[in-house]
Amino acid sequence: MIDLTIDGNPVRVPAGTSVFDAARMKGIAIPTLCHLQNETPVGVCRLCVVDTGARVFSASCVRPVEPGMNVVTNSEKVQSARRTLLELLLADHPSPCARQQQSGDCELEALGRAAGIKEPRFSKRTLARGKDDSSLAIAVDHDACILCDRCIRGCNEIRNNFVLGRMGKGYAAGVAFDLNAPMGDSTCISCGECMVSCPTGALTNKGIVGTVIAAGDDAQLIEAEELLHLPVFKGISGTFLELNRGAIVKRRVRHGEIICREGEFGSTAFYLLEGKARVSISSPIAHVKTEGGARGFFKRLTSTLAVRDSDAREEETRDRTIPIDASVDLAYENPVAELGPGDLFGEMTCLNFYPRSATVRAETDVLAYEMLRNVLDILMKNKTFRAQLDQNYRRRALENHLRGVPMFADLTPDFIEHLKESVELVRYAPGQLIARQGEPAESFYLVRIGFVKISENYPGGELVLAYLSRGDYFGEIGLLGGGVRTATCTALDHVELVRISNEDFRQMIEQFPAVRQGLEKVAAERRAQNQQRLQMVESVPIDQFLSQGLMEAQSLLILDLERCTRCDACVNACADAHDGVTRLIRDGLRFEQYLVATSCRQCRDPLCMVGCPVGSIRRRNSLEVIIEDWCIGCGLCARNCPYGNINLHPFEVVAEDPDRPGRKRAIVKQKATSCDLCTHLKEPSCVYACPHDAAHRVDPRTFFAPLLGGK
Amino acid sequence: MRMDETQRGWLIASAAILAVALAVFVPYAYFSSQGPRGGSAIGLLFGVVGFAFMIFAALLGARKRVPTWRVGRAQAWMRGHLWLGLLSLPILLFHGGFHFGGTLTRVLMWLLIIVVGSGVFGAVLQHYLPDIMTSDAPLETIYDEIAHVREQLLDEADRYVETWCGSLHLQLAGPQGASLHAGGFSAMRPITPIRGPVAAGIAPAAAVVALTEDESAPLRRFYLEEMRPFLDRPRARGQRLANEARATSAFEGLKTALPPAAHAMLADLEDVCEEARQLERQARLHHWLHGWLLVHIPLSLALIALGAIHAVMALRYSS
Repeated sequence: MIDLTIDGNPVRVPAGTSVFDAARMKGIAIPTLCHLQNETPVGVCRLCVVDTGARVFSASCVRPVEPGMNVVTNSEKVQSARRTLLELLLADHPSPCARQQQSGDCELEALGRAAGIKEPRFSKRTLARGKDDSSLAIAVDHDACILCDRCIRGCNEIRNNFVLGRMGKGYAAGVAFDLNAPMGDSTCISCGECMVSCPTGALTNKGIVGTVIAAGDDAQLIEAEELLHLPVFKGISGTFLELNRGAIVKRRVRHGEIICREGEFGSTAFYLLEGKARVSISSPIAHVKTEGGARGFFKRLTSTLAVRDSDAREEETRDRTIPIDASVDLAYENPVAELGPGDLFGEMTCLNFYPRSATVRAETDVLAYEMLRNVLDILMKNKTFRAQLDQNYRRRALENHLRGVPMFADLTPDFIEHLKESVELVRYAPGQLIARQGEPAESFYLVRIGFVKISENYPGGELVLAYLSRGDYFGEIGLLGGGVRTATCTALDHVELVRISNEDFRQMIEQFPAVRQGLEKVAAERRAQNQQRLQMVESVPIDQFLSQGLMEAQSLLILDLERCTRCDACVNACADAHDGVTRLIRDGLRFEQYLVATSCRQCRDPLCMVGCPVGSIRRRNSLEVIIEDWCIGCGLCARNCPYGNINLHPFEVVAEDPDRPGRKRAIVKQKATSCDLCTHLKEPSCVYACPHDAAHRVDPRTFFAPLLGGK
Repeated sequence: MRMDETQRGWLIASAAILAVALAVFVPYAYFSSQGPRGGSAIGLLFGVVGFAFMIFAALLGARKRVPTWRVGRAQAWMRGHLWLGLLSLPILLFHGGFHFGGTLTRVLMWLLIIVVGSGVFGAVLQHYLPDIMTSDAPLETIYDEIAHVREQLLDEADRYVETWCGSLHLQLAGPQGASLHAGGFSAMRPITPIRGPVAAGIAPAAAVVALTEDESAPLRRFYLEEMRPFLDRPRARGQRLANEARATSAFEGLKTALPPAAHAMLADLEDVCEEARQLERQARLHHWLHGWLLVHIPLSLALIALGAIHAVMALRYSS
């Protein structure tokens, strides 16, 4: 035992005790920022300095006691030193920081206030270290970090996750996740230890403000303790669950009740615990007719949808599936499936705020967890939960996805089984790079969830070649060609991909020559299209042409205003050809004497496709954008179209009554409509019906070439 | 339809038909003992051909009713309508030997002349006016939307003036939520107003009144007595703002009475007036472009009906 004196009080403590702990045992509080009782002391903030009679003050948290030591913790000199240190730290700290704003308990600002510091004497930091918003659970503000290392010790010593560390030197020093990756992209499992360790607003809980799920008769709030006893929450930080109380509820749904409805916007996902649910699309699977004309007075008064058989598209010759936001896809002919315990649905709605893709109704009494995105995100990082989800996917939907690639339709069941076991399921955060142009091609990818942007660099910028959604694939050009990626692939939102390794890909194309031929054909087509787009970009110089987005268009409906007598024959023809619903409005921007009418431009960068929850807006091989007949009318494509060229139109149809299963009633359904170029006809109806030779469907590049002086 | 080089084929064909008709008619008229008559074989031939041309021309209306039927491009029908309709006049004059005959045939001939004349007039208008409308009304909108855009202009102008002068104590009829900038491009879809938590997060704009009552008096007077009535009823006669030059002079005069800070707002008001004038110009040109059809179409129908009666009567009783 060692005897010493602290502020005149005799103290006896075991050898090896720090001065800080000895003082605390005596009830003397020494201020500190970097020190926590459950972490190894490092003495970096120096705020706990005490006068031990030595040449300089010592950091009490790392200074062991010595026999006969006389410690002064609160002299004027010590207080002055602490005050200077606080001023230096506060000069480097945005005040109030996020924590101070949220809960008013930033330790640094509290100490500053206690020391009577209103404004530090030192100049503020001018170089921002930035913020990291990539994690759904935790917000990172590097500017608020005082480099106390409490988070690093929490991550490494307490949780043994070894994700956090120091980076940089001097003024640019900071904490980093993995090798300085954004937190959301790192191996961080969002346990929350760093956040609870942080004394300032550098790491704060990112609870979604005001969106706690309302509890009620059928929704019961769950305590963190209860959650931790459940297998799916095994290994998840109790701290995190405590901080996000209200972001997950246990919901009971009675037989026949609807859990979520297609087209509605939401922010939660559901995990089924007990019972069965039926997932379906209630929109009638039917085309908005693309031909019409005078078929009688009464026919013209009504607006109906044609059944698929009577208006099938050419490419709809084989079975297809409708992608939805669940672990299963729906069959085109009978878009109904069953979900059971262990199934997760609503993932895309929860993570990306897309509309609900389907209606889910309880087939029996159902017990489910409904959760917000911060809880879902942390669940998705849980290995047990992930493994279970992946297993469900491999078992139920992977085969459909693989067979959804037309060229893979001929794969033998044995090979599909082999792929089901060997493929890797990978996940990307919004904005994360999947593959970079010029890098070696190592895998073939199939999109499972989310949207992937395919772009190519050209002198002066980046050209978007395509947006790929669930069921689409990429990577074959690099593997079949020179082994080098020809385009850059980026995750637009939360993306999950099925990765087929180079070895499996090679084995597949060797074993199945038809697959190879099909992939080579598609690759050649894609290469030709990409080349054509790049050439076009290089040859168009006019600003106005660019600013009006005309360069992006593949096909423009233009009206020569010097010929047009404003008779609206084009609009009438369009309405007549599409069941009374016009898809063109004789209004829009002007370029020279031409009016670019409000009608689909078949953009090269079709933003309208991004986010469709059921993948019903897509591009044909001939590049025109079409809206499939299982559109649920959520309107996302219409909002995404920068030119207002997609409209929602109400159709009165007889469909299943969502409130009374098994019965039908007349309801009004919305469907998105957009110009389909009357592709089943030789010429668009609007152009065909223009009596004044004023309406034309043109490729802007060639049509405007004389005006632009291009090549 | 524009009369340009693309019409050359039809022009040549029509000229050829006319030449052939003349080549038949002149010797027929010269050598016929009773002179050219509708009842003769050649006269009847002219009558049938002329009537067929008339029928074809009239079928354009029916063709327009079924725009998706693939029975030839509307453009070809329109050209046929123009040239064959025009040819029907000389052919039918040849048919009657330039005599107007009895009451029915006299009525028919006058109807034909008026219909062809109105058609030629319409064709001339449709040749020139689209060009004029394009250059004179660059902010044109869909004709049926003009009234709606005018309401928006009035609403926009009210808000400009109230921002500077304070409340005008007007009974606003326009939708308050439809805060669309009036312009050549009108939003055809309703813009959903922001509601709920997002709206709550947006602080309402402070009601700033930039001019004192004395300073704003000239603007208030000008707006209430001159500009607002013009925007409300642009067709009323004797309005200074209906004329571009006089409007410019009025705004220049107003500038001298208002502080420089308000001049940008005056420019906005001037733009509103200019757009209102353009819409008025568009409406006027639109009436010219399509108004002649009110004469042409009913008379054409009457002509076809009477022509059919004449044909039946002539064939029934000529023998």
